[in-house]
Amino acid sequence: MTQSPASPSAEPQTAPLWRTVLGYLFDVRVLGVLGQIGFIVVVVFGVKAIGVNFAENAQKLGESQFICRDGTFSYRCAYDFMESESGFDISDTMIDHTNTDPYWRSFAVGVLNTLKVGIFGVILTVFVGTFAGIARLSENWLISKLALWYVELMRNTPLLIQIFFIYFGVILTAPNLDEAIQPLGLPFFLSQRGLNIPSIQFTSSAAIWLAFLVLGIIQFQVLGVILSRREERTGQPSNRFSTGIIAFIIIAALGWFVSGAVSETQGLMVTKGSRIREVNDIENMMLQRTGLNHLDELDSLTEDEIKDFALQVCVLEDSASETNFTSQLRKMGIPYRVRRSDRPDQATERYADEKCDVFAATKSILAAERATLENASGHLIIPIKENPVVWSIPTREGLNMVGGSRMKPEFTALLLALVLFYGGTLAEIVRAGILSVSKGQSEAARALGLNEGQRLQLIVLPQALRVIIPPGIGVALSLAKDTSLGIAIGFPDMYAASYTIMNQSGRVLQMFVMIMLVYMLISLGFSVVLNWYNEKIKLVER
Amino acid sequence: MEFEGPAQSFVDEIIIVENVHKWFGEFEALRGVDLRVKPGEVIVIIGPSGSGKSTFIRCLNRLEEHQEGRIIIDGTELSHDIRNIQEVRREVGMVFQQFNLFPHLTVLDNIALAPINVRNWTRDRAEEIAMKWLTRVGIPEQASKFPGQLSGGQQQRVAIARTLAMQPKILLFDEPTSALDPEMISEVLDVMRDLARSGYTILAVTHEMGFAREVANRIIFMDAGKIVEENNPEDFYNNPKEDRTKLFLSQILHH
Repeated sequence: MTQSPASPSAEPQTAPLWRTVLGYLFDVRVLGVLGQIGFIVVVVFGVKAIGVNFAENAQKLGESQFICRDGTFSYRCAYDFMESESGFDISDTMIDHTNTDPYWRSFAVGVLNTLKVGIFGVILTVFVGTFAGIARLSENWLISKLALWYVELMRNTPLLIQIFFIYFGVILTAPNLDEAIQPLGLPFFLSQRGLNIPSIQFTSSAAIWLAFLVLGIIQFQVLGVILSRREERTGQPSNRFSTGIIAFIIIAALGWFVSGAVSETQGLMVTKGSRIREVNDIENMMLQRTGLNHLDELDSLTEDEIKDFALQVCVLEDSASETNFTSQLRKMGIPYRVRRSDRPDQATERYADEKCDVFAATKSILAAERATLENASGHLIIPIKENPVVWSIPTREGLNMVGGSRMKPEFTALLLALVLFYGGTLAEIVRAGILSVSKGQSEAARALGLNEGQRLQLIVLPQALRVIIPPGIGVALSLAKDTSLGIAIGFPDMYAASYTIMNQSGRVLQMFVMIMLVYMLISLGFSVVLNWYNEKIKLVER
Repeated sequence: MEFEGPAQSFVDEIIIVENVHKWFGEFEALRGVDLRVKPGEVIVIIGPSGSGKSTFIRCLNRLEEHQEGRIIIDGTELSHDIRNIQEVRREVGMVFQQFNLFPHLTVLDNIALAPINVRNWTRDRAEEIAMKWLTRVGIPEQASKFPGQLSGGQQQRVAIARTLAMQPKILLFDEPTSALDPEMISEVLDVMRDLARSGYTILAVTHEMGFAREVANRIIFMDAGKIVEENNPEDFYNNPKEDRTKLFLSQILHH
């Protein structure tokens, strides 16, 4: 309308109806409501279409999909088939699994494998990505160019191809176990059979040692407060930090010996006739057996002779007792051979057949096993010293690797490929985050006398994190979901296990619902943790 | 407001600058600057945009590297030796045009950060001293807020407190009031005036004439990377010698 309200003399005109309606149509409030209604209609029709399709398909699949154990039909019994025997083996398992286990256990093995790759993958990716991102910004020409090439190579080739390349081109072409690649002489062995790495094993006294460590941390805090009070009073600086660290080390060392001395769970079964009454007697036995005066003279014997004289030790597979006992034998300089059994009764059988001189395990196992021997009183269980934590280091033994833990080739390849690929993606995010922190921040840090490490750690990274975290969550989620690509190289992740279950049982629908639910739970789990962190570090602004 | 003075200096000339040249690529930003400053002197540097005045004071704590000539701060020559650079940065504080407070830390943590990490003070001691400086600049009640919650003038005062907590002997001000709203300029200038009177050696790039007339011992006029003229405030403003200075003063005074 052209008339201004300031001119009351003008006649009030009634606008034609179509104009009023048109006027409403262009009202942003009306437009907003119309838009929402339109969207709801689309959603309702979409969901309906999918639902009808789903119901029809379920109908086609037939009632056989939903048969309960008592033979009746019910949608509630959709997952009853999970109780039946799976009938297939899985090559890489974290929990025990045989082909007689039910489907749900096979599925659980797959879920655990997915989680294993996902969690280790995300942790390693954070390190690789942060390092590469910082390296990209390095003033050192070589470092920044290397990081650039790495990022470009990873970003510009498909992940699936990289997984294939690492599996077929790197892991499977690695040498045999007897020529395993050992970088820098460290106890890491890369071979066709995967990667062997050292692992930590805990004996039962670890709990006591852990208590000492907690005590040490508490004392560190308390000492810090006391010393800083004294500092305030006297004005004398008192190296709180180093004093606290030294005290912590002393307490930790004390705890190590105390927990070793107090705990008497580790034992050794020997025959009375061997005349071994404590661990040190083994040395005398060996001297008698070899006819030497001193164990140092072992060098004079041939390798075969040493093999014949070696102490035969029976242990259970993957037991901390083995690592604990053999590390003591090595310290004493006694040659030994280990025979591993899966079950205690197998080990006892070997021991009874005199295949081994001693049987090392926890005292409770030994006591139970001794009772099964014919001549129980002819055998003694002697205590052996134990360390709370023992390093299990992989070593070559004939055609096998023993000790440590082994990462299967498929797992190694998948983990390596995911970490390298997403490390490259994260590197760019980290770089963007660091560049988002204004130059003035770095200048202020330098002007205050902070060194380069402190500048990065205290000023730049905490601010960069705010920019890095949201897209970083996306990287973590992508990585967690892309573990499903493991099926391409035969890694038994959740999808691979489900795929087999689907083929065998025909329950495609049920399995896909489960797969999607689990992926969603994993992703939501990651999101919740990372979003909580993101919320926590947000900047406070006016 | 009365400020505790800086630690005493035992040299005759706390800043010695000899024939300093600085290039940004092809562009020569500083073309042979010479300057000697006694402890406790207050020097105001003025000059047109791009004359190299900011670059010059940024060379004094090695935020920029000079390529020729010598700079000796309190007996330590700035060289490629990282220990000398760190030594100088501990003695020289700097206040920036854009404040450059750390937005992820509270006001108190902003001030205590460097004493804890560079001077290795305990947190308690650093916070106590931080609180003391915050009181001196007049905003102790803002200690637990974040920089983003303060006004520009308050932020700049926090930045000054942060610099002072490191107990510097020399203070560099790089256009400290240029980014402030007019009504906040005086609260920052008041603090600077007090600092000047308590014995700090101060080099300030600023066009605040009132401040310069009141507390400066010398005014330096820079143009095209050189010191064109230096004089006491009275003579500088009333009887400038060089034509370039006259032109510049007429531009800033009659607009």
